[in-house]
Amino acid sequence: MRPPIPPIPPRKSQYGIDPSLVRRRVAELPGITSLLAKDLFPELPDVLMPGPGGVPAVRRAAEAALAGVDMARIQPGHTVNVLASHHGFTLLGGEPYAEMLKAIKDVIQARTGCKNIRLRAGVGLRFRETEEYIRRHGLDRHFGDGKAIGIAPIDQAIPIETEIGTLYGIKKAYDADWIVHAHNSDVREVHFHRQVDRAVKPFGMSYARIETRSTYHQNLGPRAANFIARAIFDSPFVQGKFAFACFLAMSPNGIVGVDADRDLYALNDRITRSGCSLYGRMMTLFGEIDECIVALDFPCPVVYVFSAGVIYANFAGANTDLYDLELPLPAYTWYTEAFYGKAGRPLLPEIPSLNPAIKMCVHNYAWTGYPSAFFSEHIPTVIVGREQAELFDRDAQNSTYTRHARILDTTEEAMAYACRVTGTAKILIFDGAFGGINLSEPLAELLVKRAPEVSRRVDEELLPKWLRQRGIPVAA
Amino acid sequence: MRTIRMLAVVDPELCTGCTICDRVCPTLAIVTDRKAHLAAVEADRCSGCPACEQRCPEGAIHMVVREKPFDIGVQVLPGDRERVDALCRAARFHPEQLVCYCTGTRADEAAAAILQGAHTPEEISLRTGIRTGCTVECLQPMLRLLDAAGVRAEPPKGGWQWYGRTVTAWDIPESVKRRYAERGFYFDEDIEILERVVNAPSQEK
Ligand code: SF4
Ligand code: SF4
Repeated sequence: MRPPIPPIPPRKSQYGIDPSLVRRRVAELPGITSLLAKDLFPELPDVLMPGPGGVPAVRRAAEAALAGVDMARIQPGHTVNVLASHHGFTLLGGEPYAEMLKAIKDVIQARTGCKNIRLRAGVGLRFRETEEYIRRHGLDRHFGDGKAIGIAPIDQAIPIETEIGTLYGIKKAYDADWIVHAHNSDVREVHFHRQVDRAVKPFGMSYARIETRSTYHQNLGPRAANFIARAIFDSPFVQGKFAFACFLAMSPNGIVGVDADRDLYALNDRITRSGCSLYGRMMTLFGEIDECIVALDFPCPVVYVFSAGVIYANFAGANTDLYDLELPLPAYTWYTEAFYGKAGRPLLPEIPSLNPAIKMCVHNYAWTGYPSAFFSEHIPTVIVGREQAELFDRDAQNSTYTRHARILDTTEEAMAYACRVTGTAKILIFDGAFGGINLSEPLAELLVKRAPEVSRRVDEELLPKWLRQRGIPVAA
Repeated sequence: MRTIRMLAVVDPELCTGCTICDRVCPTLAIVTDRKAHLAAVEADRCSGCPACEQRCPEGAIHMVVREKPFDIGVQVLPGDRERVDALCRAARFHPEQLVCYCTGTRADEAAAAILQGAHTPEEISLRTGIRTGCTVECLQPMLRLLDAAGVRAEPPKGGWQWYGRTVTAWDIPESVKRRYAERGFYFDEDIEILERVVNAPSQEK
């Protein structure tokens, strides 16, 4: 039995309980083993991290990728905003992304002589989250002089004229001569973006105002929503400022490298292919799980805790093919959630239920700051610790989350309760373990057995369909 | 129905009167005295969302647990059900559709608030609680419902609460749909789903 991979440590944040209150990690319990993603799928690419080169290897990869980018338009007297998003800081502890941001600044400065380079780091629904990361990773010192700031969707707006009308960006994201789009290719919310224009999404989300984000999640529909991002990015306003993009290239087993390009759509096509092929493989495998207890144990909101690149929100929909665009509504998206009526059932009969393989969810450690009551309402949930439950009760986004959950004092008690009530010994842990998955032995056996057939199915049947639906040539 | 448990409290020692908090408050609960350089929260209007606390550059606002939590919410008045449902459907929402994920507010409650005299997003928020969780995702449904009710709301002067209505699935030009159909955007198919939701039967007895 392989020992568990050390989970990402709890992190001090205003959105989570104090790390001292996370007394036990689920991966520390008896009977927990681990699988490396590459042992399941040997065809996954080799990675820089986790690996012996560590963060310096990411730095070198960033410098090498940026060496191929034309920066001639940036003049010494210009201003540059490096646009970042919270999500990158959740990958392998956040240091690799922070290092890429530092490298972008240093390379621009060295190559162009431009000194006024700022960091504007956007957020999801936790408006101080990137401020915490900026301090934690020393980005304030690196960019200097108050130049590294968090931006939030309720900050002052700038109207942006697009081919579908006026949309709104965050003024501070665009208050420079040039913008650099610094992101990553981890798929994360595939239930929302459906791997369509993934690389463009932050223009409709973390760099955007509430008007725009509300349009994405309420006005356009589940498969057209991400067009908002494309409309903003293609606007003359944004095109006039866009310098280049620089992405951490991700795989479920870690950081593959850094990809930089002046052509965001060329980068986007590469990401669409890798997202479908690499992450689609892992999600399809997770869809093979017949029954399990999910354990959340990661410094992130409930939906975003992840295991081998798959977030809990996606596992909650793994009973359907999230990549198949013929499926209008996955089991979880905000559109799906909106379409549950007052009886607590979907308004349309074809709306799939949440993944019935999830017999119970043990919330050992996860943050507030994302509306999560839908999950506790529809999936039996146990929360560990009164302090954590109280934190959720005080959160304006989660005022009914604990109403549907059971609260137990310790991790051991919660897991024992879950095993007893559900009768399953299969446990899947979402704790951000680098390069693999922490899980119980019976579940490990199932995944090892199913992986080869999943690989075949993805390569021969699913991937060609997914790529065709997105206009990407099937042959690489 | 939304239970308001938290209250924003300004620390006068730290507040510089920058006005950011009163520009972001979704219920217009904050007024900054520009002469005194001090923000003040009107406790009865504060829904505890913590937008102000999250944006104050001085860390001058703290969220405290209210001694007396209270409930807010709007009931559909007897005899109003048909008008409420018609307004929701005119704005292309199913009356039972959630329009705010944090507070669980449904379209019919927001529509009822409008019919009972809430004529701005801020007033709808104050009465129903909508946009007092994340404060991000539910703006457009309010603007669509107000539009469908024939109410022309104006953004608060000088505020950042909101700037304007935006496009819906039904407004996307055909030329745009055609150009991007091959890239995985399912515009018309999504409209078809949205319309079936709008016209789905009610679950309420
Ligand atoms: S945002 Fe903070 S400093 Fe500015 S007026 Fe409000 S309380 Fe005072
Ligand atoms: S409603 Fe929100 S923004 Fe307004 S005073 Fe209360 S907590 Fe602050």
